[in-house]
Amino acid sequence: MSSPFLLAAGEVGGDFFRERDVGDLCQAQRGHVFCWDWAQENIDRFGTPTVQHLQIVVPAILIGFVVAFALALLSHRTRWLQPPLLAATGVLYTIPSIAFFFLLLPLTGLGRDTAIIVLAAYTLQIIYRNTILGLNNVPAAVKDAARGMGLTPRQILWKVELPLAIPEIIAGLRVAVVSTIAIATLAVLISAGGLGTEMYGSNLTFPTSIIIAAAIVMLMALAFDAILLLVQRFTTPWRRVAQS
Amino acid sequence: MPPGESDAQSQHGASSVRYEGATKRYPGAAEPAVDELTLEIPAGEICVLVGPSGCGKTTAMRMVNRTVEISSGDVLIGGSSVREREPAQLRREIGYVIQQIGLFPHRTITENIGAVPQLLGWKKDRIRERSAELLELIGLDPELGDRYPAQLSGGQQQRVGVARALAADPLVMLMDEPFGAIDPINRERLQNEFLRLQAEIRKTVLFVTHDIDEAIKMGDRIAVMREGGRVEQYATPAELLMAPANEFVEDFVGADRALKRLALMRVGDIDLWEAPLAYVGQPTAEVRTKLAAPDVEVPYPLLVDGERRPLGWLSERDLAQAVVPQRPDSPLGPVLEPDDVMRDALADLLQGQSQYAPVVDGAGRIAGVLSVEIISEFLGSPEAKSDEQPAVERPHE
Repeated sequence: MSSPFLLAAGEVGGDFFRERDVGDLCQAQRGHVFCWDWAQENIDRFGTPTVQHLQIVVPAILIGFVVAFALALLSHRTRWLQPPLLAATGVLYTIPSIAFFFLLLPLTGLGRDTAIIVLAAYTLQIIYRNTILGLNNVPAAVKDAARGMGLTPRQILWKVELPLAIPEIIAGLRVAVVSTIAIATLAVLISAGGLGTEMYGSNLTFPTSIIIAAAIVMLMALAFDAILLLVQRFTTPWRRVAQS
Repeated sequence: MPPGESDAQSQHGASSVRYEGATKRYPGAAEPAVDELTLEIPAGEICVLVGPSGCGKTTAMRMVNRTVEISSGDVLIGGSSVREREPAQLRREIGYVIQQIGLFPHRTITENIGAVPQLLGWKKDRIRERSAELLELIGLDPELGDRYPAQLSGGQQQRVGVARALAADPLVMLMDEPFGAIDPINRERLQNEFLRLQAEIRKTVLFVTHDIDEAIKMGDRIAVMREGGRVEQYATPAELLMAPANEFVEDFVGADRALKRLALMRVGDIDLWEAPLAYVGQPTAEVRTKLAAPDVEVPYPLLVDGERRPLGWLSERDLAQAVVPQRPDSPLGPVLEPDDVMRDALADLLQGQSQYAPVVDGAGRIAGVLSVEIISEFLGSPEAKSDEQPAVERPHE
């Protein structure tokens, strides 16, 4: 609680920890892992952080996807752009998340925008790389046939290459979504809210709220993953029959 | 559906293709891939471009639909230059079949076949009708229309590849080793099917292969090419086999070209022999008299039924009896039809270890007898041997 780092963060970010009044509820259970009584009494307090979490995660993924997808299309035609773009997005991906948050503070200030920018930047590498991979994996013969039949380059891209790259693109999105939802718990450090608020500053002898917040994060990740999986199934019916 | 009523007959026909000094230079290459190619392919014929790998045959073929840009010279389709056309528009009028097939994995068979019509803006109903009709034309179950390519065998996929190329009634078809990746049995079947189809639709076809046997089988004309797309000989298969223009062609065609000529002939093209016929219950004395005739060609009597359908060959032991028995001693062996390719007929004879094979008409009645001797006489005849004469004329041999 009194680590210099958290203090510093606290000074910058103000009141980003929410008070948890354990009261008498779990006196008997102090030291135990989970307090059901407290959980039942306090479940409401997780609603707002969950919504905030979604408000960070969803825009971050959408922005990350749009930017990475645009970069992929750009470098699909202009092949020599691929290595530098892979390197650049790769460098972004290696910046430690806490450092990234604080480094952006002077530019974008405290709050949700900074969190969205950081998280979007993290998704670029995986979405870009997988989209490029998916486009590059389209069999040359299919592209040759498409060209020979009179599809224009634009038609080849949208009617042949991108549909065939869907599995790889969605695979990238799934990884990006799960990691974004997890890293978004750090947004609390720059006063952007989210489920991190229910994790930090906890009394370490009373981890109940951490467990609940983590469970919500995990459920959210699983739900997004399931949705993406469903999207893939519906957009790639040919893959199912090929596998059967 | 009888051929005359098929919608495939409603094609707007076929166009001739003319290369006029067509040249392709790749940047950085010392020699042009195709150098000043001049060649005329009449409308409705299959022209096979054949040659060793790297001879430029595929490059030459791809100039027609501009998937390879022409560096200089021109290619004319029905008299108009392909260079003046917008490439994508041009390609929609030209059927395109490649060895790796290249069906769209994410589209159903019906959608694959309808791809070009869709680009041309046909109505949905018309596309569906056309797809169904083509599935029938290539002999695939219409129910396969809703499947995806991965659910079809390689042979079925390539049939769909041909159907897709035919969908919008192209003026010209380009086929780049279309059956090269198919196993030998299915390849033969696909070749035969395509020839049957072509007899109906009469497209102008540019067919690329490195396999001289396939070239001889498929081509109305064959252009034998060597490096730089130089045409060493442009001739009908028979001419090519009888009179190779030079040593390169002779080597490429192979030492067995007399034998290959058999692939161009059918059993009905040759004068067959007559066998003495015998009927069940006939006195063997009569049969012996026939056998003893001086002009008898086949020294064994052939047992036939009342409809003159062959049943088997009679042996000495059969003839030793008073009347011709119902069951002959020797089995019938291979039975041929006039439409059989001579090379296959010879193979049947050798396979059956028999000297003679009866040839029957459509109703199964005896039409004559083919013998190994007839074939070897044909191979030794001046007609088949004329290929040896140019060899004598060449100074260095």
